Amino acid sequence: MSAPIQLDAAATTPLDARVREAMSVWLGERSANPSSRHGPGARARAALDEARERIARASGARAADVVFTSGATEANNLAVLGAARARTKHGRHLAVGASEHASVREPALALAREGFEVAWLPLGPDGLVDLERAAGLLREDTVLVAQMLVHNESGAVHPVRELARLVRRRAPRAHLHVDAVQALGKLELSLPALGVDSLALSAHKVHGPQGAGALVLAGNPPLAPLCFGGEQERGLRPGTENVAGLVGFGLAAELAESERPRFSAAAARWRSEFLAGLADFEGWRVLEPAVQVPSILGLVAPEPPAEIRRNQLEARGLITGAGSACQATKRGLSPSLAALGLSEVEIRRFLRLSLSRESVACDPAAVLGALRMVDEELSRLARSAR
Amino acid sequence: MSGHALTLGAPERVVVRYGELALKGGNRGDFERALARNLKDALKPIAPVTVERQRGRMLVTPEGRVEEVAQRAARVFGVKSVSPAWSSAPEPEAIATLARAVFLDALAQLPSGSERTMRVRCKRADKRFPMTSVEFDRYLGERVLAGVEGVRVQLDRPAIELGVEVRPAGVTVFARRIAGPGGLPVGTQGRGLCLLSGGIDSPVAAWMSMKRGLAVSFVGFHSWPYIGAASKQKLITLATALCGWQSRARLYVVPFAPIQLAIRDHAPESYRTILYRRMMQRIASEIAGRDGHDVLITGESLGQVASQTLDNLRCIELAATRAVLRPLIALDKDEIIAIARRIGTFEISNVQEPDCCTVFMPAHPVIRGEPALCERAEAALGVEELVRAAVAEVEIVRIER
Repeated sequence: MSAPIQLDAAATTPLDARVREAMSVWLGERSANPSSRHGPGARARAALDEARERIARASGARAADVVFTSGATEANNLAVLGAARARTKHGRHLAVGASEHASVREPALALAREGFEVAWLPLGPDGLVDLERAAGLLREDTVLVAQMLVHNESGAVHPVRELARLVRRRAPRAHLHVDAVQALGKLELSLPALGVDSLALSAHKVHGPQGAGALVLAGNPPLAPLCFGGEQERGLRPGTENVAGLVGFGLAAELAESERPRFSAAAARWRSEFLAGLADFEGWRVLEPAVQVPSILGLVAPEPPAEIRRNQLEARGLITGAGSACQATKRGLSPSLAALGLSEVEIRRFLRLSLSRESVACDPAAVLGALRMVDEELSRLARSAR
Repeated sequence: MSGHALTLGAPERVVVRYGELALKGGNRGDFERALARNLKDALKPIAPVTVERQRGRMLVTPEGRVEEVAQRAARVFGVKSVSPAWSSAPEPEAIATLARAVFLDALAQLPSGSERTMRVRCKRADKRFPMTSVEFDRYLGERVLAGVEGVRVQLDRPAIELGVEVRPAGVTVFARRIAGPGGLPVGTQGRGLCLLSGGIDSPVAAWMSMKRGLAVSFVGFHSWPYIGAASKQKLITLATALCGWQSRARLYVVPFAPIQLAIRDHAPESYRTILYRRMMQRIASEIAGRDGHDVLITGESLGQVASQTLDNLRCIELAATRAVLRPLIALDKDEIIAIARRIGTFEISNVQEPDCCTVFMPAHPVIRGEPALCERAEAALGVEELVRAAVAEVEIVRIER
């Protein structure tokens, strides 16, 4: 069988060959501790600084404000827990997006167990965070607001800039954190233009390595570290840096940014061709938030549950997703899909197609063909089962 | 008075005791050889070891990692107990100094508040030794306890039993006993093929069979693409966990979807589950015959679910051409879960992944299956051809630990 088509880019993307090449010397002959003061250490430090510059350029921040982490989960935890705990003198109220990734939602719930009060920012019927209702939930004693920029399941682009203005007015003491994992390489990402306090980024969503990410800060907001024992990353993330991974992350972010216009255009073409074809299919529904990136398609398929459909598609060389892979193994249903207004039955039938720079080159007609074959197979099975 | 102070290093050897095995008259040599082989196999990934057979025990000398070696040896079937041990020169003075250090070390590890009782148990198999047993016991007792406050000698179940064994091959001293699993060395009773479902029961059945000396391999039925790749991985994870008790196994993964489709399309719905299982028995019997597995093993427990009523068990068994062992037949679910937790398979089994039995599951499975009806339903299936095709497509995963 030929290599499968990977349409689960929102879960992870293949490592870019150029990134792998750039990383390899740091796993090999140039491997050194960037905190060492000898020559090899200094060269590793320089490579790390260059990676920091690249992440800063891709997110509109200053290099000094990039805090490297093991990934976006750690970055989100550091932002949510760190900002809230550093601001308890101003209050113990949080406002968190109802459809956030578990790496934001769960730390918020952990804070609730510590005595914080959590308000969930609801989505409107357009699939975007409802600013009017958000305004009503923000308070003087709100110390943290967290709202993702691009949603990992629906592709919705939330009005974070508008939310930021609201937060500054209504909750002037709050830290505004944005999970921007799915935005990098898909939107022009600018921390100052958004007017937020921090962004979480991840390398492996943009053809970089797994195990590398960053929390990008606006200046020096108060943050309580989660780990102690070193001066690295401003003391916010002590421990020897993952030099090879972060060098890979830097280059991956730069490539994502330079190839963004071409990727966005190709994804838009792919999407419209695919959706035009899908219109002939019976029982399918597309999640269409008012503003969205073209490369993430949230779909509700007909019966049976999507697990069976995804296996059937995989058997035909098509890898698809079922929403957040981080939550896919849990028994519970995705709370963020529920926040998008899907019923329990629809959540079980949710199927996600997401494109990478590699898979955007595949033929939408081939994907539609595989979907059609599986549709026919499954409805044939359903008929004979009766 | 007190003996010379001795800083106690890490233990150097592991005394491995076996129970039932020592009683097996004519087969004893075979059993001991199997146990020694299994020990070496199990310990090899931790450290290179030499195994000396002594009367009723084995002395394992690893090149390092003695604690891990002891823990692993305590998971080898046939082993009754295990003691990390120190060696001494065969002189009373040296032995007493070491014994005292070992005792003080054990005393320091007693949980606070527990009773401080001890006894010395000497074995003196080396008759060249300059003291009689009685003399030596007394000598050791005095030297070990000299100047130690608040410790009472107690012969029945003391908190610390200080073991000293004087043999021509050397002197060993120990104070800790780690219980082994008992049973018989894997492989001494033949080879079994366990039908592994991914649930809680079948891994326990496999473990219990290993315990009684069977070398167990596994057969899993995978209904791709109705069931995802993660379910197959779960079978591999379970089989790998079970190899923590026998070092290596084969996992046969049988493509089962064509059979389930045929049954769904041609047989009465209420009989589906029984017919799936009859096909599993046939396929497993076929593989067992081909690759030399003596018996089949299942995790069935009487009355646990609809397919495990006496009538249905009988319907299912009739399809097998090998003997079928059901080690869990008389255990309650709670008892099975308790074992699964102890042997480390519960957490793996408890991850919810669909298994092939959930594919096209009948709404109302038959409770009192009849063999004649099974056979009638199967007449329309082309059973032989389905079995042949499934066995031809089997994937063999070799698992080693």
